Amino acid sequence: MKIARMSESYLPAEIPVDIDFLQQMLNHMLPARADDGDLYLERHIAESLALEEGRVKHISASTRQGLGARIIQGEASGHACTDQLDPAALQDTAAAARAIITSGGAHAPVRIRPADSPRQLYTREIPAAGVDLQQRKQLLAELDALARSMDSRVSQVFANIAYSWSDIHIIRHDGCHLHDRRPLVRLNVSVVVEQNGRRETGSSGGGGRFTLQELIDSEQAEHFVREAVRMALLNLDAQAAPAGPMPVVLGPGWPGILLHEAIGHGLEGDFNRKGTSIFSGRMGQRVAAPGVTVIDDGTIAQRRGSLNFDDEGTGSQRTVLIEDGILTGYLLDRQNARLMGLQSTGNGRRESYAHPVLPRMTNTFMLGGREQPETILNSLEKGIYAVNFGGGQVDITSGKFVFTTSEAYYVENGVIQYPVKGATLIGSGHEVLQKISMIGNDLALDSGVGTCGKAGQSVPVGVGLPTIRIDELVVGGTQV
Amino acid sequence: MNMNTPDIQAQQAVEYACELGAASADAVAICTADTSVAVRQGKVESIERDQGNGIGLRVFIDTPKGPAFATASTSDLSAAGIRALAEQTLAMARISEADPDAVPPLGADHPDAQALQQWNEQHATEREPWQLDKARNAALECEAIARQYDPRITNSEGADAGFGVSDVAYASSDGFAAAYSKSSASLSISVIAGSGDDMQRDYAWHRASGHEALRTAAELGREAAGRAVRKLGAGDMPSAAMPIIFEPRVATSLLGHLKSAINGRAVLQQRSFLAQSLHERIFPAGFDVVDNPDHIQGLGNRLFDGEGTRCQRCRLVEDGVLQMFLADRYAARRLGLPARGHAQRGLTGDISIGTSNLICASGHMTQQEILAEIGNGLLVTELIGFGVNGVTGDYSRGAAGLLIENGEISRPVQGITIAGQLPKMFASITHLGSDLTWFGNIAAPTIAIEGMTIAGNNQE
Repeated sequence: MKIARMSESYLPAEIPVDIDFLQQMLNHMLPARADDGDLYLERHIAESLALEEGRVKHISASTRQGLGARIIQGEASGHACTDQLDPAALQDTAAAARAIITSGGAHAPVRIRPADSPRQLYTREIPAAGVDLQQRKQLLAELDALARSMDSRVSQVFANIAYSWSDIHIIRHDGCHLHDRRPLVRLNVSVVVEQNGRRETGSSGGGGRFTLQELIDSEQAEHFVREAVRMALLNLDAQAAPAGPMPVVLGPGWPGILLHEAIGHGLEGDFNRKGTSIFSGRMGQRVAAPGVTVIDDGTIAQRRGSLNFDDEGTGSQRTVLIEDGILTGYLLDRQNARLMGLQSTGNGRRESYAHPVLPRMTNTFMLGGREQPETILNSLEKGIYAVNFGGGQVDITSGKFVFTTSEAYYVENGVIQYPVKGATLIGSGHEVLQKISMIGNDLALDSGVGTCGKAGQSVPVGVGLPTIRIDELVVGGTQV
Repeated sequence: MNMNTPDIQAQQAVEYACELGAASADAVAICTADTSVAVRQGKVESIERDQGNGIGLRVFIDTPKGPAFATASTSDLSAAGIRALAEQTLAMARISEADPDAVPPLGADHPDAQALQQWNEQHATEREPWQLDKARNAALECEAIARQYDPRITNSEGADAGFGVSDVAYASSDGFAAAYSKSSASLSISVIAGSGDDMQRDYAWHRASGHEALRTAAELGREAAGRAVRKLGAGDMPSAAMPIIFEPRVATSLLGHLKSAINGRAVLQQRSFLAQSLHERIFPAGFDVVDNPDHIQGLGNRLFDGEGTRCQRCRLVEDGVLQMFLADRYAARRLGLPARGHAQRGLTGDISIGTSNLICASGHMTQQEILAEIGNGLLVTELIGFGVNGVTGDYSRGAAGLLIENGEISRPVQGITIAGQLPKMFASITHLGSDLTWFGNIAAPTIAIEGMTIAGNNQE
């Protein structure tokens, strides 16, 4: 039996709501004084297979659909949602969203009309098309066998393959109707290795907005297995990390999480409109060393953080946040842009129909510089060379941010001495980018693993970085 | 629209699965309704209303190699939607690989009818839920008090008040079916002190089973403002090894690390630094941790878990000795332990393992007495980041807090990390406060630990 085919027949792409009914609903919902408002219909389908102890014994799937209705006036917004798409529930939802506005008559009637076709940054195909459950199961079994064949110290292998796709309909207050289908695939491998009673783990993975077939064809899966095993074995030799301030060299790619935490969140429009970010009021000022240019770009084809348009229907774009060290841009949704007298940058995102829109990042990275990566590493007299990280977090008000290494080395005079155990690095967003003294010519984007959390909402994002040297960052090891 | 209640929906899903050929099945159905209002600078900023429904189904089939299963969920509660869910889940189970140790939903240690009735009588949900205007007024009052608390409070992220009710039902093909309702109310506030390069934010929140049990708006407003103001002027400190005192708010994270490390599935997967520590002393003598599924202050109360297993009060750590691993029925079978109601289940995905109300026993000293006895150390008030390795126990997190000199708070510090090794940290707890504080379904007092490393800025 081919489950993929069966899913397709029972889960039609289109959402079972009549467009005329939505038009009536929109007209009924919108009060005269509203600045903005929309209906957001979503059908989200996800499936996951997980291998553990050599068996694919965890298969799960979910289907969720619903409608979110939103009215905005000035700084106020009303939001209501339902997962029951019958007329009574929908009308009740519209009324609840309207409750934020206590006076005023009806809006001039609007007609729903399709928007111009937006660009297509990713496939409209269902991501599992052509790769049935048996094939996915087979892939996981092969990865398990590969990991175990690589080293006899590999004692446990976990592999997970997941895909989802969302059909999204946005009907804006002016009647403009946009439809997007957003695919997302992800493969993760993690292993436990054991040697003389010491256990360590390593993990690797990636994905993006493409099909499972493309993921398989890219042969990245094998690379993820090799990376996971390599990192786990490396950790068997890891020594305690030093404690205190020291120069740090970051490798290319995923260490770009530095940018996401150190400045990305601090430049989101809601915090800046309210004056709660350390970056509030610093537009046009120097916040990073000369040569540092940071960009948020939602328009890169097939990337995990990319969107044809954001969750308010604004086309995603390339926004320069910092140019040659000077703060030049915020990340904006429509409401915060309006209140700040600016234009939305296409960064209004929501986790689902049941969540409010917030300004969020897409793919955030630093442009490459001139230095050879080896030159940068050679400049390190005594310090840390960090090439892989776990998660990070920031307090946007004090500007303090952290990110934790998962692969890092202690270096003396440009020579790697030994791997160090995971250590948290801490700095201030408004200071640390001014301490960047060297920028490599090797910009890379991450492999497609980022998920950003804000106000309880998770959205997929990307990051990128060339090799860089930061003259001082506090390293949270145990060796004083 | 499916007007059936969640218990009927769950039973329908199980019945369909069995009709279609499942050997056994169980399901959860959840129906929630939540309302929240956010205010900022004295004005209503947003009103949100959420309604959510869903069914999560688990289907088992028998194969020559043992049982195989799959799980799926849907928010389409029409009869056709539930039937399609059953078909999909069964088809997936037929692809899934058998595990001879998988435990089908048959013959669990379910609570009996009398226990069910008693529970629902004793845990009746609030009959008079909060009203939107009253919740809004509480949020407005809370924010106003925080903003007036001190002239150094310069800005506000606003206050939120919310309330809701959820109905949860479980049904299994062995005939067990049960449901319960839970209500909740919450109030939170976040304000900012200072300006420019010295801006500090802090918050306070409380969640309870009903609005009458909430801490007052005034209390929360003062707490948030007082916390933000005392952080002003926070500076660096040199790297050092010194005693760390965790406030209850951050001490709960230590209980969280313990919970992850005694998770039976993590133990089976060799992904826990406590995998070999059952019945060993992992904390100092006198240290107790309890999981209590029926506590008047706890928000994690439950009669049965995600597999319908009766939940029991468990001493996880007694006199410093680890007494048990947390297990669902699968982990219990593999580890040769009893299942005592720790299966956790959402709508989506496989069963996981969790606790109901996790409570750390308190001590006899006030926080002030502990600080006085320790003399010089760091009172940690905030932790950020995810620097905890559950396999090795290596610990390194970003922190902010108050430096303690000669037994008293001397000044706020930030931009530092605290690092150590969880097994050593657990064994090196020196003090437990008498200030046991609840945060939803977890409660901890002030906890002091010696032997950790602080990384700061040496060039101070």
